[in-house]
Amino acid sequence: MKKKSIGQFLSESREASLVIVLIILLLVVGIINPSFLSFTNIRQIFLNNTLTFLMALGMLCVMLTAGIDISITSTLAFAGMSIGLLQKYDVLHNTFLLFVIGALIGLFCGFLNGIIIAKGHVAPIICTMGFMYIWRGMAYVISNNNWASGMDVAGFSDFGKDGAPGPYIILIIAYAVFFFMMKWTRFGRRIYAVGSNTEAARVSGINVDRTLTAVYTIMGLLAGLAGVLSVSIYASAQPNMQYGKEMDVIAACVIGGVAMSGGRGSVAGTFLGALIIAIISKALPMVNIPNFWQNLIKGVIILAVVILNVVTQRTIERQNLLRREM
Amino acid sequence: MAGKSGREISAMPEGGLKSKLLSWEGALVLILVGVNILGVSISPNYNITNVLREMPRYLAEIFMMFGMGYILVLGDIDISVGALVCLSGTVTVLSSNAGAPFFAAVLICLLTGLIGGMLNGFIATRFTELPTMIVTLGTQIIFRGIAEVLFETWGNGGGTASMADTKGLMLLAKKIGPFPISFFCVILVGIVMITVLAKTTFGRKLYAIGSNKTAAYYAGIEVEKIRFICYSLLGLLSGLCALFLLTATFGSNTTTGQGFEMEVIAMCVFGGIATTGGKGNLIGGFIAAFIIVCLRIALGQRNINTQLILVIIGLMLIISVLVPSISSALSANKKKKAA
Repeated sequence: MKKKSIGQFLSESREASLVIVLIILLLVVGIINPSFLSFTNIRQIFLNNTLTFLMALGMLCVMLTAGIDISITSTLAFAGMSIGLLQKYDVLHNTFLLFVIGALIGLFCGFLNGIIIAKGHVAPIICTMGFMYIWRGMAYVISNNNWASGMDVAGFSDFGKDGAPGPYIILIIAYAVFFFMMKWTRFGRRIYAVGSNTEAARVSGINVDRTLTAVYTIMGLLAGLAGVLSVSIYASAQPNMQYGKEMDVIAACVIGGVAMSGGRGSVAGTFLGALIIAIISKALPMVNIPNFWQNLIKGVIILAVVILNVVTQRTIERQNLLRREM
Repeated sequence: MAGKSGREISAMPEGGLKSKLLSWEGALVLILVGVNILGVSISPNYNITNVLREMPRYLAEIFMMFGMGYILVLGDIDISVGALVCLSGTVTVLSSNAGAPFFAAVLICLLTGLIGGMLNGFIATRFTELPTMIVTLGTQIIFRGIAEVLFETWGNGGGTASMADTKGLMLLAKKIGPFPISFFCVILVGIVMITVLAKTTFGRKLYAIGSNKTAAYYAGIEVEKIRFICYSLLGLLSGLCALFLLTATFGSNTTTGQGFEMEVIAMCVFGGIATTGGKGNLIGGFIAAFIIVCLRIALGQRNINTQLILVIIGLMLIISVLVPSISSALSANKKKKAA
């Protein structure tokens, strides 16, 4: 009983500390440059980072099962490129159908990941690395190195242009669904169970393989959706889109307190982590730090957060030990 | 002392693993031959002179493959090496442009790599609770970030810089007979690294740590010290990679080395090194690296959509890691039928 309360306290304090960091960040930036807190600016922060916000949810699920998925941006590129080409060659211009097709492509990619990891017992990083190459290569192959330009996706890009409500609605729905799912549905709890102790989960009757497959499928679905959104928001589709951005998504989860060893993490923490990364990249130019410092500062913050976490964890454990000895 | 019933099962994996590893390297050699036959058959220009001429561009990565093999055998991973190549290359180009003699620039290049690797090793060994993936994810962003800052503050900006004085690099890019110097360097480094991993106590300690870190610790192996050495070594090799990359590109930009880390890990895994640690050897990785290089050159000459290579690498990777579990499933099926 007591142990549980400590665990609860820890997980709560992680999000609380993130909120404190966030408030300090906002205050500092807001004082130096008040226009940062304007509605337009905040709206743009979300719009520019919709993809990270969206995919961080899937990455949360994957990392909860102690896995990792580095193929997401390739899936994104493949799905995005596919629907870009559909419009380029005038096959389809219906926004809704395009979303469905992109999501289905992502779903398929994720399912392949899941089935190989669950049934083939392949290390997640290796399997998704393979598909990272395959889908990125496929994006180049199907497009034959061409772009789908803003003209090609003209009507479709209205959905995600600055000021349109589309991306926000998708984000809100996604976060609401995941918040509910991870906390109150059997499936969500199963993910936590598999992540904290796979063997115990298997013994207690959870179909581990199916849960794993489902997790990667969800990740693929979100990556596919992000691909469609990316085409809509940036009004173009190119095969190298969002290259290397999967690390941003993983970093958002890590800052948000998702443990890579599985079993620990929350939707709220993920949101805060993604928000902190988003704010840093937007705030730097507004407080007169040139943009080229962005990566350096981002990297230092990521390392600082994880190291700080380890240090606090160690102090807590040491205190617990002391208490027990007394 | 294999008994009749229960013993057999526990004794089987060892024999099975050994023969599998042996046959895997044999298979890799066959694939290498096959790739070369493919190259000759699809392109009239695919001959040894042309291949060796195009090789230096791709050879540089192989240096890092050896270091990454050590890290993977330890059961760790390092995804910061691509960014470290970018940083080392950038520092070298900028310092050379600022007037450093070539000899000093080479030293600076290797030193930058070494320091970067030591930083990785320091964090990874001081905070052992952290997965190395996270540590190197952080340093990856930092290394590239430093390079970006250097371009703007020290270089001419624009995120790119080219070497003004290329005399020294030209010297390094020379050929001995048809073979480029970097080819000999790769072979030399390869022989040393393979021997150290396979034949010395240091190498065997790596396998011990990779199979069971706690057991290795209690057996008196200085786990953290060895991990630190391996990270530093990989950093040094990244510097070496940056140097030989410069002999092909004569400059550096913010995207230099992007994706190298994954390609290097892919070479290792394709060569039979398990990311879970304690398995595989560098010879497999070495052959796998040349398979990928030859495939690249062959497809590049044929002017096939060069990105098709990504699909092929990905497929090879997934098939190679699926082979063990498929074969074990098949043999389990056979047993079931026999029983």
